Amino acid sequence: MTPAQPLLPALLARLGPLQVTARKVMEGVLTGLHKSPHHGQSVEFSEHKEYAPGDEIRHIDWRAFAKLDKYYVKRFEMETNLRALLVVDASGSMAYGRGAMTKLQYAAICAGALAYLLSRQGDQVGLCIAGDGGTWEGVREFLPFASSPTHVQELLKILDGSQGRGATLLPAALDFAAEKAGRRALMIVLTDLFDATDRSIPALKMLRSRRHDVLLLQTLDREELDFPFDDPTRFLSMEDDRSIEAQPRQIRESYLAEMRRFLETTRKELARADVEVEQIATDAAPDRVLLKLLARREAA
Amino acid sequence: MLQFAHPAYLWGLLAIALPILVHLFNQRRPRPLSFGAIEFVLRSHRQKARRLRLRQILLLALRCLLIAAVALALARPSIKPRGVQAAQSSGPQATALVLDASLSMRYRMGSKTLFEKARSEALAALDRLGPDEPAAAGLCAGPAGFSGGGIGAPSFDRLAVRRMLQSAQPTYLMSDMTSCLAAAAKALGESPVAGKRIIAFSDLAAHSIRLDAPPPLVPPPATAPPGAQAIRPNVVLVDAARGSELPNAAVIATVVRPSASLGPRGYEVVVTVANSSGQLVSGLQVSLKVGAHTVAKGFVDVPPRGTAKKTLGAVLPAGVVTGRVELTREEAQGLDEDDGQDFVVHVPRDVKALIVDGAPSSLRSRDEAFFVEAALAPARTGGRIHAQTLDADAAANAPLDGYDVLLLLNVAAPPKPFADKLRQAVVQQGLGVFIALGDHVDPDAYNEVLGEVLPRPLHLIKTAAEPGAQGAEEHAARFGLIEWAHPLFHVFGPAEREGLESARTFRYALLKPEGQGHTLASYDDGAPALIEKRLGAGRVLLYTSSVSRTWTDWPIRVSFLPVLQQSVSWLADALEQRQPANSMVGEERTLSAPPGTRVEKVLASGGEAVPFRRETAHPDDAIVPLSAPGQYRALVAPPGVQPREEPALAFVATLDPKESDLRRVDEGELKARLGGAGSARVAASAAAAQGVQGTPLWSGLLLLGALALLGEGALTRR
Repeated sequence: MTPAQPLLPALLARLGPLQVTARKVMEGVLTGLHKSPHHGQSVEFSEHKEYAPGDEIRHIDWRAFAKLDKYYVKRFEMETNLRALLVVDASGSMAYGRGAMTKLQYAAICAGALAYLLSRQGDQVGLCIAGDGGTWEGVREFLPFASSPTHVQELLKILDGSQGRGATLLPAALDFAAEKAGRRALMIVLTDLFDATDRSIPALKMLRSRRHDVLLLQTLDREELDFPFDDPTRFLSMEDDRSIEAQPRQIRESYLAEMRRFLETTRKELARADVEVEQIATDAAPDRVLLKLLARREAA
Repeated sequence: MLQFAHPAYLWGLLAIALPILVHLFNQRRPRPLSFGAIEFVLRSHRQKARRLRLRQILLLALRCLLIAAVALALARPSIKPRGVQAAQSSGPQATALVLDASLSMRYRMGSKTLFEKARSEALAALDRLGPDEPAAAGLCAGPAGFSGGGIGAPSFDRLAVRRMLQSAQPTYLMSDMTSCLAAAAKALGESPVAGKRIIAFSDLAAHSIRLDAPPPLVPPPATAPPGAQAIRPNVVLVDAARGSELPNAAVIATVVRPSASLGPRGYEVVVTVANSSGQLVSGLQVSLKVGAHTVAKGFVDVPPRGTAKKTLGAVLPAGVVTGRVELTREEAQGLDEDDGQDFVVHVPRDVKALIVDGAPSSLRSRDEAFFVEAALAPARTGGRIHAQTLDADAAANAPLDGYDVLLLLNVAAPPKPFADKLRQAVVQQGLGVFIALGDHVDPDAYNEVLGEVLPRPLHLIKTAAEPGAQGAEEHAARFGLIEWAHPLFHVFGPAEREGLESARTFRYALLKPEGQGHTLASYDDGAPALIEKRLGAGRVLLYTSSVSRTWTDWPIRVSFLPVLQQSVSWLADALEQRQPANSMVGEERTLSAPPGTRVEKVLASGGEAVPFRRETAHPDDAIVPLSAPGQYRALVAPPGVQPREEPALAFVATLDPKESDLRRVDEGELKARLGGAGSARVAASAAAAQGVQGTPLWSGLLLLGALALLGEGALTRR
C-alpha cells in the first residue's frame, strides 16, 4: 500500500485494534500534510499594533511604551498549547453499520487519529464518551486532558472498548464537557446527531457560545443516506422500543427528502452559530476526510 | 338477464384469490432491521401511511378486477332482456302487438305522451321481428277490448301492420287489457307458427288489468287432434311509463244544483277532484267557467290517493247554460284531458204571474189567493216567480201582456171581452192559465164564456162530503190515479207520494166527457182532479176543486206547494227541468226527439257533426256513440223544416274517472297471473320485448381488464 492510497474503511477494518488503525490514519494524514503547500499549523508570529480603544489593556506592551512613549498592543500572542476534547457519541444509533464498520468504530478511528496528531504536536487531548451507564449524567467515560503517549494509549483503549447502546445523551455530555474544559478549548464532537429530543444542536451552540472552538464530525452510514432497502421491513429503533413496518420502496422518496432536510438544516444552523461541521459517510477513507478537514482549518 | 356462452370459464374467477394471497403474504413477511435513522422512517411513514394503505387496497382491487374481467370475458357474457329465455326457446314466434290506446296513455311525460312512446316502441318491435315471424297488431281501447275491427290473425303483411300502428291514435276510452290479451291469444291460435308471443305496450294502470281473470290462452289449431290443450303464450308487457309513478289530479265528477242562498238562479257547482298519487296535492286551483268567462275560482287540497270536493257558486243566466270546471296544473307532466269537465244546466227563466182572486176574504182559510201567494212567495221559489194579485174586476181591465201565467181562483165567469183577450193571449202569446174553482163558479156560465179555453166543459159540482160533518173525512174524495211522470209530480219520490194521496177533497166539479183535455190526476171515483190542455202556444190547467180550504184540505198539506209551483212553471214553460244526466265516453246516448220532430244533427263541443245511428223502432231518435268528452248539442226539426237546436237534448259526455287513476298494477301479481316468470315478463323497452339478440359484454370486460392492468402498472411503478 502506498501512502498516497486512501485508507478505506474496508481495509482499516482488517488492520486490527484501534491503536493500529488510528496510527495508520494519523500517518496517512501526515503524509498528506507534507505534500500540501501549507507548512505546519502552529506558526508563531507576533507584532505590535498601535493601541486603539477597544483593545485589551492587558495586551499593552509596556516595554515598548517605555521605549517609544506610545501604546502598542501585542497581537497573535499564542497560547502555550492547545487543549482538545474529543466527545464521542456512543448511543445506540451509533452502533449502526452493516458494512465494514459501524459509525461508532469509524468515529473511534477518526478520534484516535486526531488524538495521535494532537499529542504529537504537544497539545493536550481529553476524551468524553457520551452515553448512559457512567458516573456523570450522559457521560459513560471521561479522560482528562493530557499529552503523554501513555495518555493517548489510554484514550485509544477507552475508544476501542466503547460500544453503541442506549439513548442519545449528547446534550448532557456536552454540558459536562463544557464544564470540564474550563477555559477555551477545541471541542471535537463525533456523532450522528440522531437525537429524538432535538436538544443536541442547541447544546453545540451553547459550547460555541462559551467561546470553545467546536468541530462537529457528523458520522452517517451510507445506508442511512441512501436508504437502499427494497423488501418489506420492520424497522426497529436502536435506542428505544419503537418499531415500524414499512415498504421501503414506497417511502424512500419521502425518507430521502427528510434526511436531506435534516442534513441541510443542521449544516446551516450550526454554520450560523460558527460551528464547523463535517458530514462524513462511513464508507469514506478517514485519512482523506481528516486531511481535508485539517487543510481547511489551516486555510481558515 | 346475464347469460354466458362458456360458463366453465367462470371457474377462473377463483384466481381472484391469488392477488389476495399475495397481498396477505406481503403484509405478513417484514424483515426486522435495527436502524439508526428510524426517526426519518417514522416521519416518512406517517406522512404517507394513509396514501399507502389506499394504494395497496387500490392495487389489490385492480388486480382482482383484472383477473375477474379476464375470467368473465372468456365466459363470453351477454345481457339479455328479462325473461328472454322463455321467448327464444321456441324459435320463430307468431307475434301479436297490443297497443293500449286508452285515455291514460295520453299522459304526458317530457315532450311525448305515453302513447307516442308506446307506439314507437311497437314500431321498433315490429322491425325487430324475424323474417319467419308473422305479426298482428291491435289497439286496445273501449269496453269491448280491441277498438275497430279487433285483432286479425298474424300475417306476413308487415306493411299493413306498420301502417296500422303508424296511424294509431289514443282514444278517450278506458281499456280492458285483460280482454285484449285474451283476444290476442285467440288470434295467435290462427297462426300455424308454433311459437306464440304477445307484446303489449301499456302504462300498466291497475284499473285496466284484472288480476282475478284467467290467463290468456292460445286455443289449439283447428287441425289439432281432439283433446289438444290450449297453450300459454309468452307475454311481454312493455311499460310505457318505464316504472315511473304517474301522479295525476283529475276532475272526476261535477254536480250542478240550485242554491237558494245565492238568490234567484243561483247555482252551486260541486267539483270532485281525485288525486291518484301518493303525495298530498295542496293549493290546486279550480276554476268555474261559463262560456268564455271564469266566474269563480277556488283552491282545494286533495289527500294522497283520495278525493276532495270543492263547491263554487255562480248566478247563471236563464236558459240552457254550458260551462266547464278546470284544474290549473303547474307541471307540464300529467294527463291534460281529465283536468276539466263540462256541464250543461237548464236554468229556468223567471215567471211573472197574475193571480186573479175571485172571492177575496178576510178569513184566510177561505181566501184562495192567500194559499197561492204563500206557495209562490219568493222565499219558497227563490224569487223566480213574481206574482201579482188583483181582484176580478181589476183584472178584467188589466192588460195581460207581460204575464206568463194567469191564475183564475174562484172567479165568477169573466166578462166576454176579458175572455176573448184571455183566449187570444193563450193562443198567440203562449200565456198559461191555471183555473181553480170555488163557490163563485157557475159551471154553465163558465162553459159559455170560457168554453174554448177549458180542457173539458164543467158539468156540475159534486159534494162528496160536507166539510166539518161527522164522517166527512171518510167520505171525502182522495186523489186516485196520478201521472207521476208528469213534470207537475216528478218531484215526488215514492216516499213523498203519501203526502199527495192523503189530501181530502169534499167538493169538486165533474166534467163533461167531451173535449180534449189530458187528465193528470183524478179522484178515487175517476173524476178528473187536474186536467190540462194545450191551446195554441199556451197551456191551460184546470183544477176541479178550490185552492182554499172551502172545498178541500189539500192547500194546507205540504204536497200543495210543489204542485202549484211546478204548475205555474210548467204553464209558463219555465219548468225547472230535471238536469240532463251525463253520459260517459264510450257509451251510447239515445236522443229522443220531441213529438213531431226528428233529430237531424248532433254537434260536438267544437261544432263538428257527430255520426249517429237510428233504430227502426224509433226512427226519429238518434243513438250517438260517444268517443270524446265535452258538450253535445242536438238539432231537431219536423220533417222538411230547417233544424233548430233543442236545448233539452244538450248533454255532456264525461271521461271514465277510472282512467284518471294511474296507479300501477303490481308487477309480481301480474306476472303470476300471466303464467309466472317463465312465460310473462315486464320490460321497459322494445329491445327488451324483442329479445332476439343479447348485448355482448366480453369486449367491454376485456377493455376493463386492460385498464386495470394499466392502472396496476402505473401504481406499482411509483
